[in-house]
Amino acid sequence: MAAMMQSAMPTSEPGYSFSQAPQSVAGGPRQHGFYPYTDNGGTTLGITGSDFAVLAGDTRSTSGYNINSRYAPKLFKIGGTGSANEGARIVLSVVGFAADGNALKERLDTVVKMYKFQHNKEMSVHACAQRLSHILYNKRFFPYYVHAILGGLDENGVGALYSYDPVGSYERETCRSAGAASSLITPFLDNQVNLKNQYDPTSGSGLEKVTKAPQPLSRQTVEELVTDSFTSAAERQIEVGDGLQMFIITKDGIEEKYMELKKD
Amino acid sequence: MFIARSEYDRGINTFSPEGRLFQVEYSLEAIKLGSTAIGIQTSEGVVLGVEKRVTSTLLETSSVEKIVEIDKHIGCAISGLQADSRTLIEHARVTSQSHAFNYAEPLSVESCTQSICDLALRFGEGAEGEESIMSRPFGVALLIGGWDEDGPSLYHAEPSGTFYRYDAKAIGSGSEGAQAELVNEYHKSLTLQEAETLTLRTLKQVMEEKLDAKNVQLSSITKDKGFRIYSDEEMKECVGKLEGN
Amino acid sequence: MPGFDFSNHNRNLALHAKGVPLPKATSTGTTIVGALYDGGVVIAADTRATSGPIVADKNCEKLHYIAPQIWCAGAGTAADTEFTTALMSSNLELHSLSTGRKPRVVTVMTMLKQHLFRYQGHIGAYLVVAGCDPTGAHLFTVHAHGSTDKLPYVTMGSGSLAAMSVFETQWKPNLTRDEAVKLCANAIEAGIFNDLGSGSNVDVCVITKDNTQLMRNYLTPNTREKKMRDYKFQRGTTAVLNEKIITKEDITKYVTVQDMGDGEPGVGEKMEVDA
Repeated sequence: MAAMMQSAMPTSEPGYSFSQAPQSVAGGPRQHGFYPYTDNGGTTLGITGSDFAVLAGDTRSTSGYNINSRYAPKLFKIGGTGSANEGARIVLSVVGFAADGNALKERLDTVVKMYKFQHNKEMSVHACAQRLSHILYNKRFFPYYVHAILGGLDENGVGALYSYDPVGSYERETCRSAGAASSLITPFLDNQVNLKNQYDPTSGSGLEKVTKAPQPLSRQTVEELVTDSFTSAAERQIEVGDGLQMFIITKDGIEEKYMELKKD
Repeated sequence: MFIARSEYDRGINTFSPEGRLFQVEYSLEAIKLGSTAIGIQTSEGVVLGVEKRVTSTLLETSSVEKIVEIDKHIGCAISGLQADSRTLIEHARVTSQSHAFNYAEPLSVESCTQSICDLALRFGEGAEGEESIMSRPFGVALLIGGWDEDGPSLYHAEPSGTFYRYDAKAIGSGSEGAQAELVNEYHKSLTLQEAETLTLRTLKQVMEEKLDAKNVQLSSITKDKGFRIYSDEEMKECVGKLEGN
Repeated sequence: MPGFDFSNHNRNLALHAKGVPLPKATSTGTTIVGALYDGGVVIAADTRATSGPIVADKNCEKLHYIAPQIWCAGAGTAADTEFTTALMSSNLELHSLSTGRKPRVVTVMTMLKQHLFRYQGHIGAYLVVAGCDPTGAHLFTVHAHGSTDKLPYVTMGSGSLAAMSVFETQWKPNLTRDEAVKLCANAIEAGIFNDLGSGSNVDVCVITKDNTQLMRNYLTPNTREKKMRDYKFQRGTTAVLNEKIITKEDITKYVTVQDMGDGEPGVGEKMEVDA
């Protein structure tokens, strides 16, 4: 999964497309370019707890050094009723090429709504996760250029998070960051959520020391970690900023939170 | 009904002035010629039973397949034109597999029945404007039993494309007598074993031949074992429990 | 030996042919501006330094000293702007010493364009040169290929369009000092907020006939808010495999140790650390 992202996603520089004019040597063959993808920057993040799941994303949309919009949400409610998705229990976050992200969200939302009509029941996150994987793989040779994260509650009411590569490889995880600042946020999450490189201060010394075991986090802790992740990412990643949107999925539904991020 | 034969008999998609689709009605008649099939739903699972018409002593009875598996958790009993059921069963199997592939969960019994009924109606144009793919309606009815996340359920699907859920249902040539018997005998607290016996007893009443372990077939769908066709030994045991056998 | 060393040129060509990319220089995303006013000249810059999409320095200095009354705002490759301005500063000082006159802005501008033209744009310095000399207040831009402009208000860098849009709507002739400072700061802010390559704070430098005022961090519209959580680790969280204590007395054998006392460090900026 990681390998695909590194080779395919142009992350080292702000992305441009449609910029390549046909190149020709006088009288020689002409090389034409077709680059239908753009990187619209931004970052997403998801963390689960024992009875909730949090998905978050910044609301900036960029191309190159320009800001397209300071409020272009990357988080979408999936299912429920109507265009406002009332009563939905699943959230999709997409980061990468925004047009593909929107197309993907429309596809999945339609599928989930049709499922309810056809089977007279709400689709589980588990089923939705499998379906999303198929939607992505169906475009294996002209992929949706996005890193998707799907969140909700599983059959037991436990927070569920599924992350995808652009062609549909997926995995259930407790924690995942994607997009422009994922390389900045991931090590922070490794340390603070999975307690990597942390030893129990009360245990032995030297090689005898015992690593700290990760515990399910409280909702408040998770929201604080998410906020700190994004305010810090906005400090050091030029494509991250403007606003932070957070969806908290619990048994009572989806709660939305919004806060301002730095605008420079 | 057979009095008013007219040109409306021929067009399968043409209503008669009285508002009837004769070919569909005739297809329902075809089922009344079929062998009897019975389904009973209990809290432990669903029992499906059929009579096999052994028309010759030289017939290999195991080759009469009137109960088939659709998926691990769904089974189906058939009455009517056997060959027509092949198309419906194949469609149901593909639908169930494709659902599991797409959604990583088993297809619900109702959705399975719905998909069969969608196909049953394809003697006309499809819902999304697909062309008509058949020259006539199917001549077969199905009893679809299964176990899904809502527990056990039994459905009856007809060539007209309608389906209903039943606690107990009989179809085929002996269905009238059998259904009356089921209405009398069915109660919510039946065990699976009692349902097996009730199925056989009812079949015995309506069958022309004398019932034995070779000319009937039972199957069940339970939570733990899923769909299962009873072996010859199990059939002997079940038939043995019947009074007068 | 003075000047550039080209001894790795052929080696690097060979590496490049094999597909090894050039190391990335910290560069360009910047907004710099300048404006003349009645009685002097103002230049201003943002303080963000980037390396690709990553912010390398949140509060770097882009206003460079050339002479007491001549300053330069730099965009482009950070090293090129720093070294080029330092070189000009040095040469101008020598020139000033040998002529016994105050240095002139045109002189710096001419030296810069000749130097940059010689290197055909390979020295990635894009500069706004401003200052006051006996001939008056002057403002120039110098591009990396050696071209120059002389204008009453100028912008450069990736945020130049955002900044110029402010000048084109708000600039008027015969500005006062305060108006000029405000206008330049406004233009930089437009770059900070609308250009991803620019960010953080506004530095301003005002040069008059007999005074230069450098206003470092004149505006700080992007201060970081307090983090929600405390990330201080409890002592013992990191495993210690072995421990060796070197005392001040031990080191004194090799280097000179000077005790700074318990107060604030004497030089440099305070590092950002968690409480």
